[in-house]
Parts: sequence; C-alpha cells; structure tokens
Amino acid sequence: MADALLSPAVGLTMCAVSAAAIGVSVAKVNNDEFGEKKIPIMGVAGAMVFAGQMINFTIPATGASGHIVGGILLAGLLGGVPAFLSISAVLAIQCLFFADGGLLALGCNIFNMGVIPCLIVYPLIFRPLLKNGLGTKRLSAASLASSVAALELGAFCVVLQTLLSGITVLPFGTFAALMLPIHLVIGLVEGAVTSAVLAFVYKVRPEIIGSAQYGKRIGVFSMKKVLASLAVLTIICSSALSLYASTNPDGLEWAAGKAMGKSSGAETELEAAGGIYDGAASLQGKTALLPDYAFVSDPDNAAGTSLSGVLGAAAAFMFAGAAGLIISKAKSRKRANSNV
Amino acid sequence: MSDISARVHELRSLENLSAGQTAVHRLHPLTKLLSAIAVIVLVVSFGRYDFSRLAPYMFYPFVMMALAELPYKLLLSRVLIALPFCLFAGLSNAVLDRAAAFSIGGFSVSFGMLSLATILLKMYLCVMAALILVATTPFFELTAQLRRLHAPMVFVMIFETTFRYISVLLEEAHSMATAYKLRSGNKKALEMRHMGSFAGHLFIRGFDRAERVHAAMRCRGYSLVHIPTARRRLLRRDAIALAAVCLPSLLLRFVTFW
Repeated sequence: MADALLSPAVGLTMCAVSAAAIGVSVAKVNNDEFGEKKIPIMGVAGAMVFAGQMINFTIPATGASGHIVGGILLAGLLGGVPAFLSISAVLAIQCLFFADGGLLALGCNIFNMGVIPCLIVYPLIFRPLLKNGLGTKRLSAASLASSVAALELGAFCVVLQTLLSGITVLPFGTFAALMLPIHLVIGLVEGAVTSAVLAFVYKVRPEIIGSAQYGKRIGVFSMKKVLASLAVLTIICSSALSLYASTNPDGLEWAAGKAMGKSSGAETELEAAGGIYDGAASLQGKTALLPDYAFVSDPDNAAGTSLSGVLGAAAAFMFAGAAGLIISKAKSRKRANSNV
Repeated sequence: MSDISARVHELRSLENLSAGQTAVHRLHPLTKLLSAIAVIVLVVSFGRYDFSRLAPYMFYPFVMMALAELPYKLLLSRVLIALPFCLFAGLSNAVLDRAAAFSIGGFSVSFGMLSLATILLKMYLCVMAALILVATTPFFELTAQLRRLHAPMVFVMIFETTFRYISVLLEEAHSMATAYKLRSGNKKALEMRHMGSFAGHLFIRGFDRAERVHAAMRCRGYSLVHIPTARRRLLRRDAIALAAVCLPSLLLRFVTFW
C-alpha cells in the first residue's frame, strides 16, 4: 500500500486503528511480569525479520525468487502480541528509511501485515490447530493454513482500502481477481518457508516455540473485546472523516461525474450543482484566476483546462527546480568563500 | 545476495545525511515531523485528476533538499522503490479510463493518463516528504521526540532496538549467505528447501544475542522507567519554518489559482 493510492479519510482511519492496536498490545506487554525482558527480544526479532526479508531464495520449478514477509513466522516464535509489536516497528522503519509505503499508509500497512496475521489469524487459526500438542506435522499444517489466510485477508484489505480511497478506477471484481490468486501463491510459498523455519527451531530449541504457544498468556484483555472496540473505532473515525470529505468536493466531483457516465467534467459539474457544490464552486470562482479549469468567457471550452493546467504545472515545476538550484548554488558559493 | 550489503549501505547513507549541520537539520524534530505530515495529508487529499494543482508542491522537496544540502540522486533512487505498486494502479487507470480530457497540439490526453501522472506525482511528493524527514533528523532525536509526545515507552524501545540491530543482523545474514554461496557452486540464490535451517539459524543466533544484550543492559542499570529524554523547546525559527511550510500548502489546497 502506498500514500499515493490513499484518500486522507481511509489513511487516517487506518492509522487510528493501528495506533489503538499498538496501544492495547503495549498495555498487554506492560501487564506481563516478563514483558520487559521480552522487549530486546522483540527488537532483535524485528531486525531478524528484516534480515530474513533480504534473503532471496529460488522457488523450485519456476525459476522465480521470493522472500518471506514473516508475520506468522514471528507470531509462531514469540506469540501474537509481541510479534505484532515487532512487525509494527519493522514496518515503521521500512516506511521511513526505505520509502516502502509512506507515513500515511503506515496505518494500512501495519493493519494488513501486522494486525491481520498476529492479532486475527494467529489466535483464530494458528493456536487452535496446535491446541492438542506440538509436533512437526501440526506446526506445518498450522503455518501453511495461517500464512495463506493472513496473506489472502491482507490482500483483500489492500483492495478494499484502495477502492474506498477512490484513486483507481479498477472495478472491485477485477482488482480482487488480480490480487487474490497472486497472494494465494505467495501465501503457499510463505507457508512452506514458515513451516520449515518453525520445524527447524522446534527441532533445535523446542523451548522457544513451547513457551510462545503454551506459556502464560500475556495480558488480561480478551481478544473479542479488543476486536470489537477496534471495529467501533473504525466506524467512528471513518464516518467522521467521510463527513468532512463530503463537504470537500474536489475529488468527489470527478467520482460523481464518472458514476453518471459523463466523459466531460465541465458538463457534470453544471448538472451536479447541488447545495454544497454551489457554495464551494462560488468560492472557487471568486478565488481562482482561471475559475474551475476553464476560461471565464467560455466555460464549455475544454482547451482552458489543458492550457491553464499545463502552463501552470510547467511553471510550477520550473520555479521549484530553479529555487532549489539557486539555493544550492548560493550555498556552495558561500562554502567556497569560507574555505578561502 | 549482494543486495544485503547494499541495504546496509542504504540504511547508513541516510543516517549519515541526518548528521548534517544545516539550518534544516537544526530545526526542532517536531517541526519537521509536523511539516512532513501536513504536506503528505494535503497532497493525498487532492482529487484523481488534480495534476496541475499539485505541481506547486514540488517546491517542498526541491527547496528542502537544497536547504538541507541533500544529494538529489540518492533520494531519487529511493523513490523508485515505491514505484511498482503505484505504477500498476496508475497504468490500470490509464487503460480503463480512456475518455479524452483535453488535447495538446493534436495529441489527446485521456483522464486515465492524467490520473496516472497525478498518482506518480503524489507518490514522489509523499516519499520525498518522509525521506527528507529522516535525512535531516537523527534517529535518536526522532525517538526522543516520540517519547516527548508520550508514545508508549515499550513501543519506542522496540523501535530503537530493531533499528540498531538491523545492521548487525543484516551483516550476520550476509556472512551466512556468503558462506552458503561459496559452498554451493555458483548458485545465485538460496534454494527454498534450505530456507528452513538458514532462517532458523539466523533467528536462533538473534534470539541468543537478544538475551545477552538484555543481560548486558540490565548490568549497566537499564530499566524501562527511567529513560532520560532531553527537553527541547520550540524556538522562533521553528514557528517560522512550520508557518513557511504549512501556510502556502494550505493556501494551495483550498484556493485554486489556475
């Protein structure tokens, strides 16, 4: 998920939800008597996932190469809540230092790759499958099933978040039909690798996995309450933000125009002249040099859109570049003078 | 597998940039954080076809990079990482949304192409805002600011340890990968069936290391409760910088000039 494909309403809602999930998880770790000891382990485990993501391996019979994502793996090794905190830290670092996603998309990414595998799929699928004891086969089945479920759910959420933001015009069916099969394959590969890693760690150091699965469950909160409150939070935030967005016509004018099947923006705006649009449009008309993308004298002239838009954009690019260049030059001259 | 060492280098190059001494570097971390968030939220809030209204925001990356003396090339190469997914979404718009928006000299531009350009411009602006933030703010100042904002101690601590140990574990993974490569006769990448023991070893090493680190920290008197955070006051220059970024950005968002 990336900033450029999100609307502020969707992005901020997901940020609020993920922040709440982090808050609850932190409270759980704080309530645990061994919680503090686990913090360095969570940090190093996060770094481990990061390093693990860098290792490319070849997928047999395809020649393609892949790498792990690691949500279920980490949950299997540390337990759901600590794994979630580690993954969130990893995602935050990737967003800041490697430009993966973006600051606003961080909420979505933490939800899709952290909350879903560690706080939803892990307690609902992974743990129940291991209820009757550990074993290599059970571990494999649990990792395979949960990895596929986590990736499919995550991909589905990406589709939902993108469509709700309204930046792409891909129809829901097509987008889902593209994303879900790809992530089924990725999920199977991820599941295979996860089960191999967990089986290896189980063979060499069974106590690590044992303590994650059967150790004292961290915390006093029930997962149902947490999920319910996250759902409520989502609804409140999204309705508040979409209320704001609907009074703010810019993006919506076009979406509405599309929905009515009109190809020209100018035509639909005349038709869609409802109360909110009227007020906003008159404000826009008063403040704009070339109101509403068209020449004032001839509002139906589509050339106004192209001419003013292209000229304006080109001028802005040129001025911005020139400003940067001038500052750089001035700075290097100053440095040269001070060196003499 | 050379990309492992390349990533270590990437991580360090940004961190080295953040040690600069320009006026931008000296600003309060909160100022830089708020202006990055403001620019991102405003840029993202533009509509699907608002390419020309977004163009003036290019001042932000250009002027900031020049003021902070950041190398254009390094930051530009980072932007490319974010490209594939946005390009996929943008191209699908270009294919599906064919209605002509306007024409320039006989070449007609469709709404889809306009939205592709808008998505790419948005991506560039958002990625740059985040990169400029970390390239001008040292990591410890960023986490200190998070503490001052009362982010949960536990989370900040995990964030810090993860960051510090990434290069350690990446180097460990790198040497393991090199050893594997030398013993496997010119293989380009790890085979999937070896992934279990490879990643498993990496994790067990990391796990043991984490326990040693924790013991060492405790021996030196570490406890979660008393992490000293230097106070830092917002100065007049911070207010000026914040206003200089936010006011024009807000103006450009809510007033249409062309």
